[in-house]
Amino acid sequence: MRRRYGRIVEIALFILPFAAFWILFRLGPVLYGFFISLYRWDPLGDAKFIGARNYLNLARDPRFWNALVNTLEFAAIAIPLIVGIGLVLALFIFAGRKRRVTTWLEAGFFFPYLLTVSVVGLIWRWLLDPDFGIVLIALRDMGIDPPVFLNEPRWAIPAIALATAWWLAGYRMLLFRAALEDIPDEFYEAARIDGASGALVFFSIVLPLLRPAILFALVLTTISGFIVFGQVLIMTAGGPGRASEVLALYLYRFGFEYLEMGQAAAVGMVLFLIILGMTLVSFRWLGFESSL
Amino acid sequence: MGWREESAHSTPVSRRTFLKTTAAAAAVAAVGAARIPSVMAQERVTTLDYYTLFHSGDAAAMERIVRLFNTENRAVRLNLLQGQWAEYYAQLFAAVGSGNAPHIGICHSSRVMDVYRALTPLEESRAGNLLDAAGIRAPQYTKSVWDAGVFEGKRYLVPLDTHMWGLWYNKDLFRRAGLDPDKPPESREDFERAADAIKTRTGQFAFHPAEDALPRKLRRAWEMLFWGGGGSLLTPDGKRAAFNDERGMRALDYLVGMIHRRGWNAPGTDGFKQFAAGQLGMLIAGNWYFPTAKAAGVNFGFHYVPKFFEKPTTWGDSHNLVIPRQRPERASDDVLVAAARAIKWINERSSIWGIYGGHIPAFLPAQRAKDLQDSETWQIALSKFAYMANQGWLHYPLVHPLAPRVHAAIEPHIQEAYNGRLTPRDALTRAEAEVNRVLTG
Repeated sequence: MRRRYGRIVEIALFILPFAAFWILFRLGPVLYGFFISLYRWDPLGDAKFIGARNYLNLARDPRFWNALVNTLEFAAIAIPLIVGIGLVLALFIFAGRKRRVTTWLEAGFFFPYLLTVSVVGLIWRWLLDPDFGIVLIALRDMGIDPPVFLNEPRWAIPAIALATAWWLAGYRMLLFRAALEDIPDEFYEAARIDGASGALVFFSIVLPLLRPAILFALVLTTISGFIVFGQVLIMTAGGPGRASEVLALYLYRFGFEYLEMGQAAAVGMVLFLIILGMTLVSFRWLGFESSL
Repeated sequence: MGWREESAHSTPVSRRTFLKTTAAAAAVAAVGAARIPSVMAQERVTTLDYYTLFHSGDAAAMERIVRLFNTENRAVRLNLLQGQWAEYYAQLFAAVGSGNAPHIGICHSSRVMDVYRALTPLEESRAGNLLDAAGIRAPQYTKSVWDAGVFEGKRYLVPLDTHMWGLWYNKDLFRRAGLDPDKPPESREDFERAADAIKTRTGQFAFHPAEDALPRKLRRAWEMLFWGGGGSLLTPDGKRAAFNDERGMRALDYLVGMIHRRGWNAPGTDGFKQFAAGQLGMLIAGNWYFPTAKAAGVNFGFHYVPKFFEKPTTWGDSHNLVIPRQRPERASDDVLVAAARAIKWINERSSIWGIYGGHIPAFLPAQRAKDLQDSETWQIALSKFAYMANQGWLHYPLVHPLAPRVHAAIEPHIQEAYNGRLTPRDALTRAEAEVNRVLTG
């Protein structure tokens, strides 16, 4: 009994440093955010408890629903794009791993991930500038009449999603590349001896064994997809009109432009619940045995 | 031999001499040490944190003033921190709320109604009347800007400047279009003739109405036309939208028509960049554009905004120096007085703000200072800006506790109309509904 008790204390001591920081810097802010969301919060100290009114205000605000739809649209485009491009790049690099040039290519694909979001936003805003952007000039030279991507409601979110994929896919590539290295060569050899096609090897061996990495990449990308903010602020500021105003930008504006912190905290809680839900769905879909 | 040679290069020290020297040094050190606290007291420096919302050329100009302050003042030092204006007010509130407020800050005249709670009432502070203590006197400031610094009978703001929009034009494109570069348009008819001529004869963009066409800039462009027709955004009691009328409609229709009927530009373009690239004939932009236009090497001129409707009107606002609310443990009464004196000092040197920041100083002696009057900034642009201000053409943005949300409710609809995806009527109807929703809570 004493030995078992000692073991529990030992485990608790191992967990304690991480748990302390996690509670202080993760759980604490979430709970505090929920607390603020129940108030008409004034940073100068005159907060007033209003119960669920901030949440009811959100439910009644068409702008909130528009931001939610925009966020879902961005996530629906960006998440598969980022994970898919990352996977394709990883397979490409893995297939040519014995050639020296792939090392350079891998570094090149990873490089955008090292940039900050503001740099990424500015680069793409310049690339897609209607007067001086290389992308639009090149398309016009090819005889195509391109839309002004960042000023067209239909194109604004896909354009931001593309910029985000360029920025983030390189890191997913590294994750998948590492997971590919973990698959024993014997599996491929056995499949080859049995006469399996490349597609069969991919779908029956590679993809199932990549499941833990895919889960990790999906959870990571889902979080990035739902809290997208910087690139939207810089590339379109939520426009044209409100065609690309996402939830994080809506939150930012209520919190930092209109100084309505309670309402902003309510948006933060909604975002938290969405991301938590999506993460649990990912676990359910890919199996809890997938390790993070 | 060896010893004597050595003695030629060093002085032998006897034990008595050594002891005497050591005793003397100790005495000097003791006297010095006794004096240190009083010397330190004399040299004690008060550091004042000064946060602004300036960036680009404005930030560089304010840095120049603060550097001069820190060179000329030994007892007080300014610690300058500058940042983006979008988050500035939220940061100011957070700083005041957490008890770490800067000793000096900036506030727009149009924001006094929603920011005053974070500011020290200057005539009724716990250190007494700070204006009197610092020698800040109303007659030394531009009256309209000074008057705008009061809310509910209490003064919170000391004006720094006035800034506004005006007409920048490319002299080379004017020549190519057969226009006189020394006679920029002043009436609506002359303006339209000039824009049409630039479009047809040069093949370049004729006109951009709103700097870089961000939603808030397009809203300002519409407001400028709307106010020029005598419109008002809200009803006098501030409880309902009042812009969805014939004046609002006429202003928006004219703005949209510039792009979609007359083809003077295209939706989604950036007037700053077009003008700097020499591809734009005329641009409506603020005085802060001067350093950029100059650096771009464009042969440009500057003029008043044309009279589009009944009254020539331009969008404008003012920066003011403020003392955010302080906790006694962070700022003693003496520190509050030092902050007020620093504010006065900054205004006394604000001709620098005019020359390098391109703003019109609100402190009249600085506005009339020779260095400013002789500067290129004044001669090309600021004199015209000052004329517009003195003629009463300047119109401040909406002053209302919910002004940021009212603006945000209008902007996307104006932008959609400008882009041609909403009719002006639909845009104003939607904006009106959204503004009323904001105002009724």
